[in-house]
Amino acid sequence: MSSTAMKKKVLLMGKSGSGKTSMRSIIFANYIARDTRRLGATIDVEHSHVRFLGNLVLNLWDCGGQDTFMENYFTSQRDNIFRNVEVLIYVFDVESRELEKDMHYYQSCLEAILQNSPDAKVFCLVHKMDLVQEDQRDLIFKEREEDLRRLSRPLACTCFRTSIWDETLYKAWSSIVYQLIPNVQQLESNLRNFAQIIEADEVLLFERATFLVISHYQCKEQRDAHRFEKISNIIKQFKLSCSKLAASFQSMEVRNSNFAAFIDVFTSNTYVMVIMSDPSIPSAATLINIRNARKHFEKLERVDGPKHSLHMRMR
Amino acid sequence: MEDDWRPLLGPDWSGESYATQSVTDSLDSKTRRPFHVEPRNIVEEDPLERVSAEASIMSSRMNYYSRLTGSSDRLLVPPDHVIPAPEEIYVYSPLGTAFKVHGGDGSARNPSIITIFAIWNAMMGTSILSIPWGIKQAGFTFGILIIISVGLMTLYCCYRVLKSSKSIPYIDTSDWEFHDVCKYYLGAPGQWSSLIFSMVSLIGAMVVYWVLMSNFLFNTGEFIYNYVHNISMADADFGTNGTDRVICPFPGTQPERNGSLTLFALSDNSTEAPLFEHLWSKTNTVPFYLIILLLPLLNFRSASFFARFTFLGTISVMYLIFLVTLKAFRLGFHLEFHWFHHTEFFVPEFRVLFPQLTGVLTLAFFIHNCVITLMKSNQHQQNNVRDLSVAYVLVGVTYLYVGVLVFAVFPSPPLSKECIEPNFLDNFPSSDIWVFVARMCLFFQMTTVYPLLGYLVRVQIMGQIFGKHYPGFFHVLFLNVVIVAAGVLMARFYPNIGSIIRYAGAFCGLALVFVLPSVVHMISLHRIGKLRWPSATFHSLLIALGFANLLGQFFM
Repeated sequence: MSSTAMKKKVLLMGKSGSGKTSMRSIIFANYIARDTRRLGATIDVEHSHVRFLGNLVLNLWDCGGQDTFMENYFTSQRDNIFRNVEVLIYVFDVESRELEKDMHYYQSCLEAILQNSPDAKVFCLVHKMDLVQEDQRDLIFKEREEDLRRLSRPLACTCFRTSIWDETLYKAWSSIVYQLIPNVQQLESNLRNFAQIIEADEVLLFERATFLVISHYQCKEQRDAHRFEKISNIIKQFKLSCSKLAASFQSMEVRNSNFAAFIDVFTSNTYVMVIMSDPSIPSAATLINIRNARKHFEKLERVDGPKHSLHMRMR
Repeated sequence: MEDDWRPLLGPDWSGESYATQSVTDSLDSKTRRPFHVEPRNIVEEDPLERVSAEASIMSSRMNYYSRLTGSSDRLLVPPDHVIPAPEEIYVYSPLGTAFKVHGGDGSARNPSIITIFAIWNAMMGTSILSIPWGIKQAGFTFGILIIISVGLMTLYCCYRVLKSSKSIPYIDTSDWEFHDVCKYYLGAPGQWSSLIFSMVSLIGAMVVYWVLMSNFLFNTGEFIYNYVHNISMADADFGTNGTDRVICPFPGTQPERNGSLTLFALSDNSTEAPLFEHLWSKTNTVPFYLIILLLPLLNFRSASFFARFTFLGTISVMYLIFLVTLKAFRLGFHLEFHWFHHTEFFVPEFRVLFPQLTGVLTLAFFIHNCVITLMKSNQHQQNNVRDLSVAYVLVGVTYLYVGVLVFAVFPSPPLSKECIEPNFLDNFPSSDIWVFVARMCLFFQMTTVYPLLGYLVRVQIMGQIFGKHYPGFFHVLFLNVVIVAAGVLMARFYPNIGSIIRYAGAFCGLALVFVLPSVVHMISLHRIGKLRWPSATFHSLLIALGFANLLGQFFM
């Protein structure tokens, strides 16, 4: 029994060319290195250590095109890959012509998961939906969802349809993050209280690594439904620029005569964004409020005990 | 720093939503946001138009994705179908005005009537000159029935071609032509066969054009010469008397007739202009004179200059219709109905030579290699099938009108209906002023269409073999010399355009009208498991008819 945590894995798996690398790059703001463009069949698995939700680590596994390598994954490297998995995200290419092969790989993954990490959560993404005609998208997704639900038994899988060219990718990953945060409803009600106390127009809670919106509170209708994704993109672009200067992003204040917005670290897993439409309230007041709330929310994250927490555990 | 990430197409944050906005504030905001444009500076019809939310989020996304890859990386390049429509794109100038991007050439939208007219214009070719001869070969009643039924069959096959690219799942087929669809369903053999048969139709048309151009140039030259020198050719050919002469250039060539007919000498015995006869002969010299005119035109790099003259074709057809109506008034109707046997002057209503008419009609109703492109610019795409049917009906009516009228008014008591020539203008002497005008119009029209056809052939052949449209002057010259030689040889030794049209029509129609659309349709149904027996038998029957059409040309 070690006193440090075993790193829990998030497996991002799927057939070669299904869009995993692009997805990971977009969600985590990684530069896509040119040498990951394969010139031949994938003969190695890419390990990317992106921290996610505290101490989860994203592992990108590419089911390379050749069957021999797939079989290799599921026999000799099976325990190595499938132990300590917290989350399995499996990506399907909607225009794939080899549906049976895709399902066969998926089922092999599920078997290995059942044996090695039976508590893992399974998410299926039906990707590249922009290539399907708009009027057929719902139908095709429903078909796939039924097939996947059926094949996944006894495990339960949650299915999403995604495309990097519309808001579905962001929403799907936001939903995934939402389901992985253990006491998220309590977090939301506390967030509402916090917002009402400090008289904010809108308060958002973002996941730290990806700036995916976990929850939000707004006191009146806002015009732009895409604002969450836009904020996420803006901040990730800013983070990319900061990283070029070997600096890291910590907090930001944006103010003009109409509003003041504050983005700051909140808990160990989250960032908070507070928008005040009363510019007469001084920044210092809001920042103190945020700092005090931080302590309260961190306690919330620990309060429900070790079995739900994503923090390090003694084993 | 703030402006780095601000998307270019952002929603309008100033204005209505904030009730109090002082002038200084708005000035301040303008200096800090160089790409924000006040609504009144957006130049287009509706000044209150805002950028749509979808366009704005797409711009934000693209900004972000462009940071993630190198500039030469194509991984996160937006595909065409996610980019907002041209109506939603604004081009901003740094001076603060914004212009809406109007759709470029690709999204030109024509109303239905223009599309119908474009299809009619494209289908109306020189086959209109052979329809009366075709009706004669098939018999009057049978000919009319065949025109209607072949028109309907080719319309159905054209409908199949039009719909063939719609049933391909998951791929954006908006700029595919029919040979791309064949390549998708049938692989390389499908693509090559559709290209080769398309080539046959184009080169066949070019050969026919050469023969006809030699014919028209010869007649024009003869008319001018005779007019200038006041020579009358009234007795040279066998024909009717009077002002509206109709002649029978080859009175002896009637294989089924038992009666004999005195062959009139076709050469003029007069000694007035033997030199002119020698130098200006329809088959011996005029085809060669044309080389001087047309071979240089074929070598032009781009054919867009000739595309401006498509209106000449419309004028020529309209004039032909007027000419036929005029002759009908002057000559009157001469029809007698003999159902199954020949008489001295008339042909039976039902004849076994009818495959010759079906061959001609297959080329007359042929537009299958470019119908997808033509219908792309239709404004209301949902009306495509209706507009195509209307165009086919109009074409059929035009052919019926010209064919039936010329056949019916052909003066049969002195002349036999068998005399109707494959080019019905040949049945009028070169001294006829109305027909002279028709010949001149058609000659000029053909000299502008010939280089266009040559350009199409060159683009397809050079594109397939060398990968680019103009690989070199000598390659293109060699191809043009081959095509011109084919035309000249045909004009010299076998200037029977009826035969050329029917063989070319049946051959390329076999693949592009009958076989490929039916096969592609059956395969697409089979792939989704919806191929039923009635449909399979019907389409197999169409394929069999295509083969029968081709075989019929050789045996009848």
